[in-house]
Amino acid sequence: MMMASMVANGNRDGRQGEALVLKGVDPETCMIVFKNHWAQVVKILEKHDPLRSNTSSNMASAVQNYVEHMLFLLMEEDAGQAGAMGPILEFVVMENVMERLFLWSLRRQFTDDMKLEQLKMYEMIVGQARQPLLHHKPVLRPLMMLLSSCSGTAGPEVEAELVSLLNQLCCVLAKDQSVLELFFHTSEDQGAANFLIFSLLIPFIHREGLVGQQARDALLLIMSLSAENQRVAQHIAENTYFCPVLATGLSGLYSSLPTKLEVPGEEWHCLHREDWLQMPTLVQFLNSLEFCNAVIQVAHPSIRDQLVSYIYNGFLVPVLAPALHKLTLEEVMTTTAYLDLFVRSVSEPILLQTFLSFILLHRHENVHILDTLVSRINTPFQLGTVSLALFQTLIGLYCEDVMLQLILRYLIPCNHMMLSQRRVVKERDFYSVSAAKILALTPSCCSPEHSPPPLRQLDSILWSKGTDNKTEESFLEEDGSGYSCVIGSEIYLDVNYLHYLYNARLGISSCTRACQVWSAPYDGEDPPPEEYQPSALEEAGARGRQAQTVNPKRSHPHPRPRPPCPPQTTDPAPTNQLELEWDDSYDAGPVVPPEAATAESSRPPQPPAAEPPKHIQEMRRTAIMLVKGSYIEESDFQDDVMVYDLVAKKDEDHFKVSSLQEKDEVPLSNGLSLPPHPTNMEVNSSEVTKGSKEVKAHVADHNSNLQSPLATEVGDDLMDQYEELIRTLGSDEAGTGGSSHVKTVDKEFRNPVVTPMEEDEVDFSSFSVDTPELEKQHSSLFGTKLRSGSTRSHSVPFTGPFVSVLLSRLENMLDNSLHVNLLLTGILAQLAAYPQPLLQSFLLNTNMVFQPSVRSLYQVLASLKNQIEQQASTKKDFPELITSAQHCLLARESSLKGQDTNSGDSRECSPLEAGRMMKSSPPPQPKTISLARTEVFATVLFTEFLKELAAIAQEHSILSHVPMEE
Amino acid sequence: MNLNPFWSMSTNTVRKVRERSSFSALKANFCQVHPTHKREERQKNRIFKRSQRDSHTLKRSDGEEQSGEQQQPRASPARPSFGKKQLPSIPKNAVPITKPASPAAMAQLANGTHASYGPFYLEYSLLAEFTLVIKQKLPGIYVQPSYKSALMWFGVIFIRHGLYQDGVFKFTVYIPDNYPDGECPRVVFDIPVFHPLVDPVSGELDVRRAFTKWRRNHNHIWQVLMYARTVFYKINTMEPLNPEAAVLYDKDVQLFKSKVVDSVKLCNSHLFDQPKMDDPYAISFSSWNPAIHDEAKERMFTHKRRPEDHQKGLQVSGLSWVKPGSTQPFSRDDNPPLS
Repeated sequence: MMMASMVANGNRDGRQGEALVLKGVDPETCMIVFKNHWAQVVKILEKHDPLRSNTSSNMASAVQNYVEHMLFLLMEEDAGQAGAMGPILEFVVMENVMERLFLWSLRRQFTDDMKLEQLKMYEMIVGQARQPLLHHKPVLRPLMMLLSSCSGTAGPEVEAELVSLLNQLCCVLAKDQSVLELFFHTSEDQGAANFLIFSLLIPFIHREGLVGQQARDALLLIMSLSAENQRVAQHIAENTYFCPVLATGLSGLYSSLPTKLEVPGEEWHCLHREDWLQMPTLVQFLNSLEFCNAVIQVAHPSIRDQLVSYIYNGFLVPVLAPALHKLTLEEVMTTTAYLDLFVRSVSEPILLQTFLSFILLHRHENVHILDTLVSRINTPFQLGTVSLALFQTLIGLYCEDVMLQLILRYLIPCNHMMLSQRRVVKERDFYSVSAAKILALTPSCCSPEHSPPPLRQLDSILWSKGTDNKTEESFLEEDGSGYSCVIGSEIYLDVNYLHYLYNARLGISSCTRACQVWSAPYDGEDPPPEEYQPSALEEAGARGRQAQTVNPKRSHPHPRPRPPCPPQTTDPAPTNQLELEWDDSYDAGPVVPPEAATAESSRPPQPPAAEPPKHIQEMRRTAIMLVKGSYIEESDFQDDVMVYDLVAKKDEDHFKVSSLQEKDEVPLSNGLSLPPHPTNMEVNSSEVTKGSKEVKAHVADHNSNLQSPLATEVGDDLMDQYEELIRTLGSDEAGTGGSSHVKTVDKEFRNPVVTPMEEDEVDFSSFSVDTPELEKQHSSLFGTKLRSGSTRSHSVPFTGPFVSVLLSRLENMLDNSLHVNLLLTGILAQLAAYPQPLLQSFLLNTNMVFQPSVRSLYQVLASLKNQIEQQASTKKDFPELITSAQHCLLARESSLKGQDTNSGDSRECSPLEAGRMMKSSPPPQPKTISLARTEVFATVLFTEFLKELAAIAQEHSILSHVPMEE
Repeated sequence: MNLNPFWSMSTNTVRKVRERSSFSALKANFCQVHPTHKREERQKNRIFKRSQRDSHTLKRSDGEEQSGEQQQPRASPARPSFGKKQLPSIPKNAVPITKPASPAAMAQLANGTHASYGPFYLEYSLLAEFTLVIKQKLPGIYVQPSYKSALMWFGVIFIRHGLYQDGVFKFTVYIPDNYPDGECPRVVFDIPVFHPLVDPVSGELDVRRAFTKWRRNHNHIWQVLMYARTVFYKINTMEPLNPEAAVLYDKDVQLFKSKVVDSVKLCNSHLFDQPKMDDPYAISFSSWNPAIHDEAKERMFTHKRRPEDHQKGLQVSGLSWVKPGSTQPFSRDDNPPLS
């Protein structure tokens, strides 16, 4: 305790006055004092062997006093000439002072207090000595003995002190690697685990608070040491449990996270800093994750690879994957939000790669995590929004692998465009034709010509015609730099369009710069489309999968029989089919079976999402109705084996039941029937529960012959199927779109533009071409089904599930809430800023001619414009509402800005602020407008989105063609 | 703004350096010329001025200006991404200062595009043209759009051999404001060069004979510049704008040559004159000043020599684990094994 006070107070006590005068004292005097003290101590030690006689506390404190001063002298001693030991240190080494002191205190009762005292003593001399002490075994060995005696059980105070000392030792190690060898040797003498310092630190890795932090810092020092020192690296990787402890620790910490988040509001969609700061368990998890990140950053590759592998196999696969497939909507949503947060928190590329390869390549129950996540974008409620937010994060990584899996691989074959269009891919839009076409979609009620909104009247910029500017009524002004420029007003220009241009420029430049590390330009030539045609893809895919992941089809227990009707093409590609099967699920245009559609249209239109419970009931009922028409379609998603079996059975009831059973055992191959949701809807309200029970009863009727204990589960599973089915079919404008399917279908019949009848409308030609084929599919039953399925997979171009699902959500823009639309348009703008010609031409080139079955962003925008015009023409107060909504959004914007400037925090904070702001309702405006008027807000947002896209298109026409040079 | 292109006339050996330097200065300027920057600047001026004139009018104009820059991701955390939709803020107490716009300008164009965006399309079309010019790396030709208008480009051409060897001719390109649907751009030399196709009074080059009809997507401004260069190497005397020169060339080449030499001398003697146009981006020459130019030259050459190093300096934020030639994610060999 004396030492403690000395350390803490810097010896201000100074009874002997040594500290104060020490500077002037010559070394010889110090040596004499030291020797004297030691003689006294030795006397006491010899007289009072603690084992034989009871050492009086007097004696003990006398020893402490002497030692205190001796150590102080030692600490203050300078090294001798040419790095030789100073006389005091030499004496300490010769006389084995430290060891004798340690042994003496060991022979007394070695209490926590004693340990504390010794630890502090070492901490002081290690930290403050002016010459290296640890090189000398007589100093080092007692230290190691002390350390090992402190391992195991000890009070929190001792632990804190131990970690603090270890931290200090690591600092010394980091500065002077020559000590390292000694640490190894010493511990070999001891016969203990090789690298004691390290082993002692491991138990504290996941500790919270200061101790944990210090331990992690110390470990990081050792990690960076390992990068240069093969021996340390090898020891850690081969002889310690460091990596497993770290990784399984993550799993442990994860399991203590809340499985359901208390969501602050409907608009919430991701975990912001302020959110997780209030969750201690999450903070702790993130600390450990951050530590892993840091370790991977600095450690030797062998440790790094081991840790990454443990995180993958010990945390992601066994813990996170199942968590992503929990049963209730809330749980799944929570996990998704966690995953998003984790991906955002990780900065080290290799760790990020681990997370990404988990998301992109891992299959949980034979379904890619990515496919599952994509399919969830279309789920109603918050899961869809949270999933969107996750994808926003992923796209923002500028990661080639992500973009490849999400979109690019579907575009590489160039099958989505007419053959003649391939040369257009790289063409540049010299005259902003695409921008003009996009802006031409501006709804008349929002066009600046029609009635300039009050905000825009303020801003007009002179477009000086250069050659004849003298004729303008303009005036010259000097700006700060001494240049003059023409100021005046000639034409109304949308000033905020300048902001979009500016932003587009920033976005495209940073994206372009980021993409310089990519392996290919994706310009329609490299990678060559010919090599990645479906047939070629199949081989490549098979090869890739064999190398990397287990191909589920290959590992399938059953042998894979040939379909009864041989497919027209020579070889049905399993992998490719797997990809293209998505076609049914998302891109299928009007997949509504005729009978279901008529049933829908005969029903009165539903109020938009006013009564969720009723709405869900509705959905369930629809599901049942759809069963007849589309269950086959659903089964088409599944393994051919199953379909084959099912076809053989013929009996419809039987058919369903057995297929359901099958489903329990054999998970679907396309991720569609992953069961995140259905039961969860029951959580929402009792009414819903009732509704679902009804459905269950219905199901039970159908499955009356099924009396197994599995009954309820199967029922749930069937519910899953229904859910998925609805979602699947609803992904299109003409389909029953997600939560608002009823309305959408209804709309389709009200809105002539989107019906297949309107064939002269070029933009919608896709629909009309699409429909017959799909009808044919519906009318054809089992046998032909199979063939059509495999044919389709080869012939119908498809731009991938992600694009499809985004576009179909966008198509529902008028029904989406504001924040969903913000997310959606944000993601699309993010995608549009990518410089790859394939992506650019697909999203922004309005002149491109696509295959009829491919829906383009422009088509969706055009149909939205029509929907809006329709709304505007039927509602008299529409312009007024638009103005109110504009004001409301502006107020929101400026309040966000206010938040930004108020919190002078780091950049990372601002989006979080935004998140908070989103929760609060917008402040009252001259005319208040309810956020429930989604169509009004969507109209305003739509107009802004057009500008954003046009601006991106314009900037692309310049930036993408200039070599990047700063 | 201190990146004014510098020029210096001295010996032939310096010329190459000079030319290259001009090119890079050009590119540097290109960044400034870019409309968004320029616009921003202009607008700032305007708002600034307006608030000076009428101090209570636009108190919040500064904030308004920032809104553009601040349009950073809000709803999405941490990762760089694109901002949300944003409208400019409503200036409080603002009295709208509006001018009735000409009805013609406000009308919708035939193809349904909004006229109010027309200027943006035009400016971007011209910028696209300019980037093409840069890409072409036309030998001895340098151009730069003016500060005031993208429709006016300043240029200079260096003739390296032939009759006009050592000629340094400054010119201006005028682009019609209905570009690309109008006539072909005009090229006017600051000093009328003695040449059959250059008007001895106005200095205008007969460009139209090469581009009888300007076709969008097929004709580009770099072709005009290319043509302007060619006329000095391959002399055409058909339908001349300067009949004297044409006749001399056909009848008395020696006299023609001496007249050309005089003309070149005259042009070069005016090289250091103030630019004809009062424009910050006008091309002006100054004599070689080691204090300024040596360092700039040095910088340019080191940049040229080590482009890779330069690249490395940039913080690359993108990620890729795709093996070149593969479309499989994480196909690169250096991926750490995950199992």
